[in-house]
Amino acid sequence: MKLLRLLWSVLREIGDQNAYDRHLSAHGTAHSAAEWRKFSDERFHAKYQRAKCC
Amino acid sequence: MLIAAAAAICLGAIASSRGERINSIWLVLAAACSYLIAYRFYGSFIAAKVMALSETRATPAERLENGHDYVPTNKWIVFGHHFAAIAGPGPLVGPVLAAQFGYLPGTLWIIAGAVIGGAVQDFVILFASMRRDGKSLGQMAREEIGRVGGFVALVTVLLIMIILLAVVALVVVNALAGSPWGTFTIAATMPVAILMGLYLRYWRPGKVLECSAVGFALVLGSVFGGQWVAGSSYAPWFTVSAMTVAVAIIVYGFLASALPVWLLLAPRDYLSTFVKLGVIAMLAIGILAVRPTLEMPAISRFADGNGPVFAGKIFPFCFITIACGAISGFHSLISSGTTPKMIARETHALPVGYGSMLLESFVAIMAMIASCALQPGIYFAVNSPAGLVGKTAQAAVTTISNWGFPVTADQMQALAKSVGEVTLFSRTGGAPSLALGMAHIFSRGGGGDAVLGFWYHFAIMFEALFILTIIDAGTRVGRFMLQDLLGHFSKPLGRTSWMPGVIGSSAVIVAAWGFFLVQGVRDPLGGINSLWPLFGIANQLLALIALAVATTVILKMHGPRYLWITCVPMVWLVVVTFTAAWQKIFSPLPRIGFLAQADVLQKGPITPQVQTLIFNNQLDAFVCGAFMVLVAIVLADSLRLWYGILRGTADRRVRETPFVMSQLREEF
Repeated sequence: MKLLRLLWSVLREIGDQNAYDRHLSAHGTAHSAAEWRKFSDERFHAKYQRAKCC
Repeated sequence: MLIAAAAAICLGAIASSRGERINSIWLVLAAACSYLIAYRFYGSFIAAKVMALSETRATPAERLENGHDYVPTNKWIVFGHHFAAIAGPGPLVGPVLAAQFGYLPGTLWIIAGAVIGGAVQDFVILFASMRRDGKSLGQMAREEIGRVGGFVALVTVLLIMIILLAVVALVVVNALAGSPWGTFTIAATMPVAILMGLYLRYWRPGKVLECSAVGFALVLGSVFGGQWVAGSSYAPWFTVSAMTVAVAIIVYGFLASALPVWLLLAPRDYLSTFVKLGVIAMLAIGILAVRPTLEMPAISRFADGNGPVFAGKIFPFCFITIACGAISGFHSLISSGTTPKMIARETHALPVGYGSMLLESFVAIMAMIASCALQPGIYFAVNSPAGLVGKTAQAAVTTISNWGFPVTADQMQALAKSVGEVTLFSRTGGAPSLALGMAHIFSRGGGGDAVLGFWYHFAIMFEALFILTIIDAGTRVGRFMLQDLLGHFSKPLGRTSWMPGVIGSSAVIVAAWGFFLVQGVRDPLGGINSLWPLFGIANQLLALIALAVATTVILKMHGPRYLWITCVPMVWLVVVTFTAAWQKIFSPLPRIGFLAQADVLQKGPITPQVQTLIFNNQLDAFVCGAFMVLVAIVLADSLRLWYGILRGTADRRVRETPFVMSQLREEF
């Protein structure tokens, strides 16, 4: 069970869902379409300035 | 360890002298045991003695926590995140190509290279970045070695990116040309990705896992749809030449670089990462369940340098063909990117930095097994360019059988039919033969030949999916780097929001890698023969820069005592890459040396096409030489600094951030 929870957390981290939760709690805001768009725009901007590995 | 090594050699000698066939589990066990011993002893030694990793020292993730980049994270989550970032097509394709030497040279290099070189590089760079607030490799090169080192590192990365994008695009081109099933499947992933982008942006914002599950179901549907298309009257629409696929990818790269990231790139990146991790896990389970026998000899006749996949002897070409999986300079960009900003405790750097690379090495071992489990005759029929073995099926099987690897035209025809392809001859690039190997393993796990075609195209889809993500992300990154450089000369050109600058710089980057891609498609020897070594040399030269930074850090911390840790792999890479680059430029053998190839072409009738080939070879020689000069500059700069440090005349201050006591109470 613990392993499955860990696996789920890894998938959420890779899928940026953990980062989104952190974003919501850091800004004290609730989830909304506009908030996700704001978060993902910032996130993707930073993410895709870095090279992807071969 | 000596006793274990002696025992393994004795057992191997007995088995091979009795003519026993080797089961793939031998390689799995040898690799797994080597990794465990290396991790427990060598990795721990570096962590304790060289880095003195501390549980009580606050990491940048703790000190600079901002909820965005700097976030203390559970070590296994960082491990998964880091592994997903470093695992690309390299550890899958490189070993498949190097399998032409037999399974042994590549396997030994994958294991030894990772343990002594790759994992050490990733680990030390991660450590150095973590002690410097998560600085990038370029920043560390500039601060630790000097401004010249930093600038050269930036230019080298840009050049490597161009070659990388061309070579991975060529892998996709060779996999899709003449394959309506494959072409339809990959074409269908574009609208699927756009649908996912809209789903995530407007319909179910933030539901990345849910959206990826929907995307995966649709992509699976496109694999089945491809089978239907291949057997329908629409098949000619999707049966296209290599040049058409190349042009389509070039146009796609340009559009994807200019489109909003959320629409295409990001959703497909999520999907391809999940699919990649899933397929790697499936392959591991498949190999353990099926335990295929290795059909390839331990060392093939092509150790002599006359291999059809690419020309050149085991030394140095095996060591540049397999980069990712043994040692890859690109990893140093990841180790000094997101990862150091997520590590909660310093001691986690050992499993994340050293451990992830060992797992990546294991992926390379699995790719080696998948390709060596194929009948060698089939492997060479798929991977040998038509320019070398002949353009007809009969000519190809005669040539390959005369090499001592029997294969028949009927056998190849039956195999092509069973995977839903028109032909499998000369499908160079590594992807088709890897897909064949994987399909054999998966289908033996259940379903047999009836599902061979599905698994083959599933594997092709999996490889193409993340290669296309690398192409559009890489084009975008290349554009940012170019704009960063151009910004020094013209402010507007440096602004990433100024559309003429965006379009112009995207076009320059796409034109640069597109040029090499078209060159690869036109190459009568299949393109991989010239482009993959160029990419391997470039990637290993980047590793040299990373190891030069790592050596400087260790020298400043401890003096010469622990220099051997990074110097041994660095010296090996100097010898390997400079020898390979020298041979690629100056070898008198036309299949190896670019200039010799140009000379041969010049002696024949000069047509516009031949003129282009001559120019391409001369350009490849120039690019190879430029890589050597750039890295030689960094090495010379580093040697000057190291000499000064040892003499006591150069600044040997360690530029770490000062010690701050960790306040973290949670378990990570």
